[in-house]
Amino acid sequence: MRYNLMLAWHGLKRFPRSTILAVLTVAMGLAATMTTLALLHQLTADPLPGRSGHLYLAWVDTVRAKPLAIQSLNGINPSNYHRIKLDDAQEMLHEHRATWQAAMTSVYTEMTANDAVHPHVKHAYLLATTAEFQPMLGVGLRSGRSWTAAEDAARAPVVVIDEALAQELFGSIQAVGRELKIGSHEFQVIGVSAPFSPQPHFYDLSAMSFSGSRRDLAFVPLGALLDAGVDLAGNDGCDEDAPKKRTMFGTDAAHCAAVSYWVDLPSKAQVDAFGDYLQHYAANQKALAGFGKPPRSELTGVGAWLSKQNVVPDNVRLNAWLAGSFLLLCMANVAGLLAARFLRRGGEIGIRRALGAPRVAIFQQHVFEASLICLLGGLLAWPLTLFGLWTLRLQDNGFTDLARLDPSMFGALFALALAVGLLTGWLPAWRASRVEPGLQVKSA
Amino acid sequence: MSLRIMFKMLQRHALMPTLVMLQVALACAILCNVLFLVWQRVQPMVAPSGLAEDELVLVDQIFSRTHTFSAAEAHAGQLALAHTPGVRSASSALGLPMIGMVMVDYNLKSPKGVTVGVNGYFGEGLVKTLGLQLVEGRDFLPSEYRDFGITQQSSDVDKPSSPEPVIITQSLERQLFDGQSAVGKNLSVTDDPEHGYFVVGVVRHLLRNQLTLATDGRGDNTLLAAKRIGDTALLSYAVRIDPAMRDVAMHGISETVKRQFGAEMGEDAQVRIATYAQTRHEALKSQRAALWLFAGVTIAVILVTAIGIMGLTGFWVQRRTRQIGIQRALGARRSQVLRYFMLENLLIAGGGVLVGMALAYVANGLLMHYYELPRLPWNYLPIGGAAVLLLGQLAVLAPARRAAEVPPVVATRAI
Repeated sequence: MRYNLMLAWHGLKRFPRSTILAVLTVAMGLAATMTTLALLHQLTADPLPGRSGHLYLAWVDTVRAKPLAIQSLNGINPSNYHRIKLDDAQEMLHEHRATWQAAMTSVYTEMTANDAVHPHVKHAYLLATTAEFQPMLGVGLRSGRSWTAAEDAARAPVVVIDEALAQELFGSIQAVGRELKIGSHEFQVIGVSAPFSPQPHFYDLSAMSFSGSRRDLAFVPLGALLDAGVDLAGNDGCDEDAPKKRTMFGTDAAHCAAVSYWVDLPSKAQVDAFGDYLQHYAANQKALAGFGKPPRSELTGVGAWLSKQNVVPDNVRLNAWLAGSFLLLCMANVAGLLAARFLRRGGEIGIRRALGAPRVAIFQQHVFEASLICLLGGLLAWPLTLFGLWTLRLQDNGFTDLARLDPSMFGALFALALAVGLLTGWLPAWRASRVEPGLQVKSA
Repeated sequence: MSLRIMFKMLQRHALMPTLVMLQVALACAILCNVLFLVWQRVQPMVAPSGLAEDELVLVDQIFSRTHTFSAAEAHAGQLALAHTPGVRSASSALGLPMIGMVMVDYNLKSPKGVTVGVNGYFGEGLVKTLGLQLVEGRDFLPSEYRDFGITQQSSDVDKPSSPEPVIITQSLERQLFDGQSAVGKNLSVTDDPEHGYFVVGVVRHLLRNQLTLATDGRGDNTLLAAKRIGDTALLSYAVRIDPAMRDVAMHGISETVKRQFGAEMGEDAQVRIATYAQTRHEALKSQRAALWLFAGVTIAVILVTAIGIMGLTGFWVQRRTRQIGIQRALGARRSQVLRYFMLENLLIAGGGVLVGMALAYVANGLLMHYYELPRLPWNYLPIGGAAVLLLGQLAVLAPARRAAEVPPVVATRAI
């Protein structure tokens, strides 16, 4: 085997021109495939490893309005209702049927640090939520603490801020005890959190999905934020008897479905029990009678939620398919190049066979040669892939700043290169091993 | 030499032709699909807009976090812009061509039951400001405009019971009314069947602002509604300028916007003032990026295939040098040898193209199933196939010429 490997290495050096051509072709195919796959890999990765498996989005339909018969011909699919009204969220929080549960919504708003050396205004996303978000999502704390359910109930103006925001506003991550103005109220900083940026931003996709640069920079009790006069963004429908709207973009939290309700349910039995509970909850909404709505509820896991929302852009998958078929073409091409070079040395193969080398040895030698070419191609594809990802990052599509090659994809690159080598080498090597010893020796 | 002998040859040495065929088939399948994807991206770029493009300036994202602009303020802005030096007319608008930030979406239904998804543009005097060409009927009368804003959207405001006048495009007229005149005819929308619409005018072209859907004859699926902008948090204006006074007008527009709305917008104002050409350039950025990508793929596929065919045929010619020499010695002319290799390639590539076209169709079927792509029209297949055949012929030219150069004397040598 070592001898065969050595022969394969010598074979490579024999026809440098066709070797270079084959290596280049393989490298191009591999680089194209790996660039698209690396992006796809980043976009389809588990947003919260270890936790997302038992997180569920709970939805009950309690909006007092006629069900909309929406059938859009314009490619906009508005049927992905997932938010609930604040009152229902509070009721469900109070009944506390899951291990952890929290209502949440991301809001883009203005924050002012008045007690900083220079008053500093920052526009950023913050997450308006309830006490259990911290253990449920596993938001890390650098210092201080998160708030309690009692503080939620008292609508206490407290805030947990991201370390990057603390650094920017207060010049230090030791920001506990400082004050931050959000809306019309002063909020006391009680904790500083580690960067929390699951990809995608699955718990509120209407604010953002993939972003390498933006994340929720503060966590605030929902009730206190509403008290401070900050409007929630967007809703999934409002009661028909709601009072008049004040602004175009603001949402009346009391009458509109505006918060996502996430629960943590570690076991199958709990999931079933919570599903039943939700359906009962919807069925008990007497006020809905008269709007012709059947009681509707849904409990959706993170994976199902992300695929339903179609968060990975179709283009990314399409490009991966395109690159994959290009790799196939490159493989066919290299198989041809290899077949030509193997048969060109039919004479030598004949002599080796005549001297007693078994077919397997010939086959092995040539498969090795093919694999070596493809591994070299893989090596060359590495910088090419990095270049491809760099050009992807240059395009500002929101998600492209995530295009990076992580160690597992680096391993995958060489695994793929080897697989390509074995696959493309197989047919030409088999053909080479069929060379009849006698015929070749005679003609040579 | 007869085709039968050629087939026999190909059968005896099946490996090389098979590999060439495989490459051609893959290249054909990829190129057909890429060609189709390219056309999907190119259509919004070449679709006629129907606008007076040289004279149009779009003002977008006049937005305030704290203040809701009233109908009067929106109208005052329109008047101030219209009276700016170099400006011919201005309209406060909701939904503008090449601006995808705000989209109005209707499912129009004709009396015969044909439904079409369209985008709508609202605003007073848009026909004049956008420079649209009215081919039938009339523009909206000043009395026909109704305010459209937050107040009007509230549930406690009664919807007007009389049908609402709209202006549609010629393309919509064809789709909804089968080529008959649409003027005076009624339309409805599927989401809200009680609220009626009727057509007062037809314009030649008006490009929709949902650009991804501006393909396959849907680019002109646009309507104008007789709505005046009411109270809103987000204002935008279409401004028609005198192209001879562009610089003056652009400066004046920027000053006017600052004067009218600067206080409410605050420090982080994101207002965008740009000519139609600039806005269009920005809006088509992703389409262009995709086209570059597809161009790259096409070039790579062509290169790899051409090199593959050249390499394999070259090797094959080398292998058969002796036979070619014998043929030449027996009286075959150079042109006959050349033609033989070209024909052989045509045969192999033809087989590959047939397989490739089937492959392209299957691949498109899968893509269509999983992604929102329309069905590959059958006429892409022969176009892609012909391109690949031509590529094959060009690639085989060099090795075939080399074969034709083989001197007859080779036959007498033992190699």
